[in-house]
Amino acid sequence: MKILFTAKGKSWEDLVDPRFGRAEMFVVYDEDKDALTVISNDEAKQKAHGVGLQSAKKALEAGVDAIITGNGAGEKALEILEKSNIKVYVGAGEVTLENAYKAFKEGRLQLQF
Amino acid sequence: MSILQEIVVISGKGGTGKTSISSALAYLAKEDAIVADCDVDAANMHLLLDADFDKKEDFYSGETAFIDEDSCVNCGKCKKVCRFDAINVIQNQHRVDALSCEGCWYCSRVCPTGAIEMKEQKAGDLYISHIKTGTKMVHAKLGFGAENSGKLVAKVKTTARELAKKESKKYMLVDGSPGIGCPVISSLSGAHLVVLVTEATVSGLHDLKRVLKLCESFSLKSVCIINKCDLNSQMSKNLENFLKEKNIPVIAKLPYDETFTKALSEAKTIIEYKNRSNISQILIKSWNEIKNHI
Repeated sequence: MKILFTAKGKSWEDLVDPRFGRAEMFVVYDEDKDALTVISNDEAKQKAHGVGLQSAKKALEAGVDAIITGNGAGEKALEILEKSNIKVYVGAGEVTLENAYKAFKEGRLQLQF
Repeated sequence: MSILQEIVVISGKGGTGKTSISSALAYLAKEDAIVADCDVDAANMHLLLDADFDKKEDFYSGETAFIDEDSCVNCGKCKKVCRFDAINVIQNQHRVDALSCEGCWYCSRVCPTGAIEMKEQKAGDLYISHIKTGTKMVHAKLGFGAENSGKLVAKVKTTARELAKKESKKYMLVDGSPGIGCPVISSLSGAHLVVLVTEATVSGLHDLKRVLKLCESFSLKSVCIINKCDLNSQMSKNLENFLKEKNIPVIAKLPYDETFTKALSEAKTIIEYKNRSNISQILIKSWNEIKNHI
């Protein structure tokens, strides 16, 4: 399973960014390979509108099964993610990636909607 | 040290009294809060809080096409594809009307000589001001034809957050944007508490429903202030029933009161204008309630 975190930094000790579209960056954890990869979200800083959709696109391209974030995705992005069977888990803002992952594994994170 | 608490005031509908109420809350929060005005399309909170426009920074958003006249062969391809009629021929030279240009890149892509460059456009100025409550506020002013965006709101909020952290403030008070679009989503993200300001009218309820749906989709904790609750007692009841159903606490019901307008015309928050008035007393209670709900 591949999980994408909206993140403020690149490591397990960094915090989950509560924002989806304008997240600092994305960190993907591949459970099978036990490896973290970072996806930049620098373009979002230049864009005035529509950044949520860009984030959804990146999640699709990375082929993830789930997203762990804070507030959740906006309506349009969520529609695409739902159709693509990517689950969005919310409520992990301001905790470390490590703790967010633990909470996810223990079923303590809520699905958006 | 406790985490900075972000309080965002939004309304869905314009004209409910959002900015009057958030300015009053800012006045009550005093030095404890950094204020952020994210209602950039109609920024006016600085008037009530007596901002001094101390620090200024350029803000860039979006792009505009620019034709290099030396390499342009005036073939007209750009004019043909422009969906916004932004390219005109003036004195036999194709030129871009910057106000009409939406920055879509189409002309730049089709130009056979590569004469069209997309340049970042200055959308307005971002300010950090001292305000009369002894703290600071972050706000922005847009240039002609520019519009608010999620990007600008994010910039205002990030600047305010950094400032609040640097000065160890307890609260960040955000005057959000109206509606439910991109700037509102940007205002809401990261909020610890949303204060919904509505009014007892049909459109007040309608827009409250829309904006609350947005808050729910982001699992944000919200409370509500019903302004002008005596305009229509039936609507007021409908609002309360709806909020009860949704489990949103009503922290205040304010009657229609022209003191708001009088305070406004003297560039004062309602609390300063008449501290002992009924309205002020309700708002003082509301601020305490808000602190309890965080």
